[in-house]
Order: sequence, then structure tokens, then C-alpha cells
Amino acid sequence: MTNINDRQLLKELKDRLQERTKFEKEVNVLTQELQDVTKRFKESEALKSHFISNISNEIVNPFTSILGLSKSILQVEKNDWKKVVSMVALIHSEAFNLDFQLRNIFVAAKIEAGEVVPNVAKVNVRNIVQTIIEAFNLVARKMGIEIEFNYEIEYGFGKNFYFKTDNEKLKLIMSNLLNNALKYSYKNSKVIITMTADEDTLNIAVQDFGTGISEKNQKVIFERFKRLDSGINSINRGHGLGLSITKALLDVMGGTIEIDSKKGEGSTFTVRIPEAKNVVEGFSGEGNDIFFDDEDEIF
Amino acid sequence: MNQYLQHFLYPSTLFASKEPYVVKTILGSCVAICLWDPVTKIGGINHYMLPTWNGNDLASPKYGNIAFEKLLERMIALGCRRDKLQAKIFGGGDLIAADRSAMLIGERNIRVARILLEEKNISVVASSTGGRKGRKILFFTDTGEVRHKFIDKREN
Repeated sequence: MTNINDRQLLKELKDRLQERTKFEKEVNVLTQELQDVTKRFKESEALKSHFISNISNEIVNPFTSILGLSKSILQVEKNDWKKVVSMVALIHSEAFNLDFQLRNIFVAAKIEAGEVVPNVAKVNVRNIVQTIIEAFNLVARKMGIEIEFNYEIEYGFGKNFYFKTDNEKLKLIMSNLLNNALKYSYKNSKVIITMTADEDTLNIAVQDFGTGISEKNQKVIFERFKRLDSGINSINRGHGLGLSITKALLDVMGGTIEIDSKKGEGSTFTVRIPEAKNVVEGFSGEGNDIFFDDEDEIF
Repeated sequence: MNQYLQHFLYPSTLFASKEPYVVKTILGSCVAICLWDPVTKIGGINHYMLPTWNGNDLASPKYGNIAFEKLLERMIALGCRRDKLQAKIFGGGDLIAADRSAMLIGERNIRVARILLEEKNISVVASSTGGRKGRKILFFTDTGEVRHKFIDKREN
């Protein structure tokens, strides 16, 4: 035992106390972090079960309609074509919606499994947007919404503009944006799609004059499973994946998305997609060039 | 050499196979964890861009913690045993350090890899991480061998 005087003892105690306070602080910080994580996890779980109930609606409802309608068609008077046509139109729109939603879900699953890769080709982007608009035309007409397409790319006379990008992903992105625009539009209004191109970026803006999104909500709409329950035309529909998928797909393509919206005045979503590089550098599908490289270090 | 099938690994994706594949990927601040089972000769690799999932986006292998868990899951589904697995870590360079040193994405990506591997008791048998350069790596899924080369260009 060493003898220490009062002053040293006091100092020693003080030091230890300080150290303890430091550790306590650290423990507090860690506890706080743990609580945060738990909270987030719980939220995520809640959203997930919410999602499952949404999604079953999304699948079951169209199926019920399709089954019901096709049964009625079978029973209809043979010469009552008008009735048949209107029912077939309904079946088509329900099946269209089902197909669209299922596509979204499968893509989301693929993204989460890490299986989504860019699949680049020369694409006639004007065609794609027109195809998407046509596909949604029935829905839009039913709601009295006019879809306007401003194609503002000047590219030779009578020549098609081709852009190197991923065809399927662009289609899904456009479908989601257009679907949202229609969903949050008022009846008898308009949706404007504008397409422009800079040197090597493609810009597509989708503008609606619907409910708009408050500034606070603009931050959360990209979160998965989050939906703003303010859709006018279809209360409580959708699975809340559309924008998270859009964002994840844009990620793969190196693109970005911006929102410009005012509550009550409508929203504009703008996506910017850079032109894809032709092939991934140094990786040709065949040939053994990548095997023999003297500079390689081996681990 | 010709019996190898080739696979290019894009960011935010992962790959694992029983067949002998050579997987190529380019890493900047991203990190790739290669897992290999010397008994079954099965190899798998991921390529993530950010350390941890923020809880908001899709839970994709863009994020280190998710990429690692999914790769491990897939390896085990293919018949690997966790206690046999060996890991190699690559990437996490700091390519844009000059102006944005506060972010330290590469550094954080590497740390996540090491923490996760330690948690699961998987030993890291080799690694090449950090630095200021990008990397090109080739991973042979049957032998677990990795060929590695620095590249000067800014790629990801």
C-alpha cells in the first residue's frame, strides 16, 4: 500500500468520477441509438403489415371485378353487344391495373434481392412515352383528364431521336409517374408531360394540377410503403411502392428525380436520366482479355 | 480457363453460384465482400454503395448491412456452412476526398464490413481497402481467388 495524501486522494476520486460520467454518457448515447433503431424497426414492421393489407386489396379487388364481369358477359343476351363492350372495357381496365401493380411488386422484390441490372439499348424515347400514354388513356378518359405530351427535342427533320438507356425501366418509371399524376388529379383537368434533352441527359417532367404535396410530405413520399391518403380519385388505393421503386430504378440508371409542388396547386415530378455508356468498360462478353493481366495482384 | 462463366457485378447487386464463375466488378468508394466456402467450393460476392440502410428506401443490397445479410442467406441456401466461410474485403477508396472529406463513405463502408463479419465470426483472410484509387477485381467463385488491380480513373 502506498500512502497518498488527501489532495492526491481527492484528485484520484475526481478522475474516476469523471471517467464514470464519461462512460455513463457513452452508455446513454448507445441506449438512445438502440431505442432509435428499435423504433424504426417497429415502424417498418407496421408499414409492412399495412402494405400487405393494401396489396391484397390491390390484387383481390381487380380479380373479383374480372371474375364477376366475365361471368355476367357469359349470361348476357347474345345480341346485347353494347353491354358486352362496356363490360369488356371494365375488365380491361381492371386487368391493366392488376398487371401494372404486379409488375411493380415484382420489380421491388427484384431490387431488394439485388438482381436488377441496367439493360441498355438504343431506345426511341418518344415512342415509349406515347405507348405509356396510350396505355393509361382509358383510365384518363374515364376521369376526364387530358394527357398532353410536349415533345421538345429537335433532332433532324423527320428523324427519330434515340437515346441509350434501359427500355423496361424507363417504361416503369413513366408508368408510375403518370399513374400518380392521374391518381392525384381533379376530374376534368390536365396532365402535361414534357420531354427535353440536353447533351447527354434526358429530362421528363410530369405535371398535374391536382392536390399537390405539402413541403413536409415531400420528404416522406419516397419512403417505401408510405402513401399520402389524399388521393381524390381512388381513396386508399395503391401500395405505396411506386415512388420508392422509381427512385431505386433511377439509381440503377444514374438518374435523379425532383419534385416541385404546392399544396392545392398540383405537382411536377422531373426525372433526369444520363445517357448510358455503351458497354461497361473493359468487359466484353467473350474473349479472355480479362483473365491474363500481369499487373494483377492475387489475394 | 475457358470453363469459367463470366458475370459482371453491378453496384447494389449480389451474386453467388455453385458453378465456377469469374465475377468482375469495379469499385470506387463502394465495397465488395467476397465470401467463399472452401469445403463446397461455393463463392459469392456483393457490391454495396452505402454502409447502412436508412429504413426508408427499398431494403436493397445498395446498403452494406442488407447486402451482407442477403449474401450470407444466399450462400447458406446454396449449401454453405457459416463456420466454414472465409471473407475478403475490397474497395472503400476515397476518390472524392479533396472536397468532401467529411462524408468518408469509403471508410464507413469498410468499417461496416468488418463489424458485420466479426459479428458473424467469419474471418477476413485478405483485404485491400481504402486509399485514393479505384479498383478492378476478379473473383473466382470456385477457388476463392481474387485478382486485384488499381485503376486511376474515377469509376464506381
